Amino acid sequence: MSERLGFYFDQSLCTGCKACQIACKDKHDTPLGVNWRRVVEYSGGSWQVLDDTFSPRVFAYYTSIACNHCEDPICVRVCPTTAMTVRDDGTVFVDEAKCVGCRYCEWACPYSAPQFNVESGHMSKCDLCYDYRQEGQDPACVAACPSRALDWGPLAELEERYPGAVRSVAPLPDPSITEPNLLVRPHRDAQPVGSGVGSIANPKEI
Amino acid sequence: MAVDELPMILFTVISQMCVGAFVVLGLVQTVGGMKYSRRVVDRLADPALFALGPALVAGLIASMFHMNDVTHTFNVIRHWQSSWLSREIIFGVGFAGLGFLFAVLQVLKIGSEALRRVVAVATALFGVGLVVSQVMIYYSLVTVPAWSSWATWVQFFGTALLLGALAVGTAFVLVIARRQNRPASSQVEATNEGSYGQRLKDFFADRQVDDPQTGAQVAELMVGSVRACVVGAVLVAGALLVAMPVYVSGLAGSGEVGLLSVAHYGTGFAVVRFGLLALGALLLGVMAFYFAGFGTKKLRVLGFLMVGSFVLVFIGELMGRSLFYEAMVRVGV
Repeated sequence: MSERLGFYFDQSLCTGCKACQIACKDKHDTPLGVNWRRVVEYSGGSWQVLDDTFSPRVFAYYTSIACNHCEDPICVRVCPTTAMTVRDDGTVFVDEAKCVGCRYCEWACPYSAPQFNVESGHMSKCDLCYDYRQEGQDPACVAACPSRALDWGPLAELEERYPGAVRSVAPLPDPSITEPNLLVRPHRDAQPVGSGVGSIANPKEI
Repeated sequence: MAVDELPMILFTVISQMCVGAFVVLGLVQTVGGMKYSRRVVDRLADPALFALGPALVAGLIASMFHMNDVTHTFNVIRHWQSSWLSREIIFGVGFAGLGFLFAVLQVLKIGSEALRRVVAVATALFGVGLVVSQVMIYYSLVTVPAWSSWATWVQFFGTALLLGALAVGTAFVLVIARRQNRPASSQVEATNEGSYGQRLKDFFADRQVDDPQTGAQVAELMVGSVRACVVGAVLVAGALLVAMPVYVSGLAGSGEVGLLSVAHYGTGFAVVRFGLLALGALLLGVMAFYFAGFGTKKLRVLGFLMVGSFVLVFIGELMGRSLFYEAMVRVGV
């Protein structure tokens, strides 16, 4: 399990520039509407009373999200064809020779990781840049981030490198559903999962 | 209307109707068989059996449009150990195959009655397995609160029983009406003899005439069955009309995702959906129950009422299934 690969993401460093998203799209040449990595803007706010005055208390922060190559991948569980496959290193990829394009995995995944490719008629998703990794390179999104907010590697190593990183933070879903291999350093205004305090400001982009 | 999901709307509603109708026909065979001779029951139930075949095939063809790469279709049964979608296909194909086998054995009177009964029970079990799998495909998706609910069980089995009962009741009335409208000269003596080809020809022409006693008993069984079907449909429709508001209000109060899920239940489309259910099952159903009391004397009225009831409820169920798919809002990002 310690060898299982995953991502690390630092909410406090991300500026929402989407360089990771574009680098991924460019590297994998995905069609219009298919974005294996996306940047979610989560914002909200309330009022606080200070010395008889109401003052606004608002927050906004970004979360860059791709496939988290979950320990218990719901996409693999529900796939009728066994096209959704787990590699020995724990990464999940679509075997296009088997996929029937029924899109059931798309319904199931709470991270919108599997996405339908109209051109091929099959599902497609992040494979943690398998070919780059074979050549000793970092995944395209990690290499592209100007804030160095992204990292990747065996989960145990990431946990050592980034003490204090958490698995559960809004707007991500409850990690108990799929046990994602994702560590997040929360933003200073980060909200707990399911608090409903904020909302996703860019739903059409993700 | 969830146009993108049209293949799934047609497939789930039609296949559930076929399962329900097969089970209802089995009940007619079993309960009717206690009072009437096998010949009487078969004369009424066998023609209805054959209406199911084309309907189920149409449903299965519709489901193919849900797959975007049909050349990989056979892969969909590979993950039966884990995926309810694989299990759905296995049960669906099993139900269709066994149902076809049973229909052939039953109409051509091949094999003993016990053997046919075993095939029929196996078919019904595969049918129930099909509906259970269909429920579980959605119920097991914990990431979609609108689907991971008891209401999925109620809606899918509700559709099966409601449309199954109304389809069988309607088919019975039409079978008797068709026989009544034949010119006397075209009728032939009732037999179950001759080559299989001849038997099949006889069956589809349906020109056999029963002796008066058998004919009267077939009509009597029709009246009893139609009334039982209508009562069943009224009960299921009533249950749905109570359960759905409970489900929708519960979902709406369960948080942000739940509130987004129920958006379409507040539209005119939803009003029409439940209106059709009430009108078709409750109003026309109750009227059909009344007119069934006249036996074969007011068959034309009864026929219109049953066809009307079935068509309205069928359209209502398709609309209801569309709402089911439109309630799909997933947790997470």
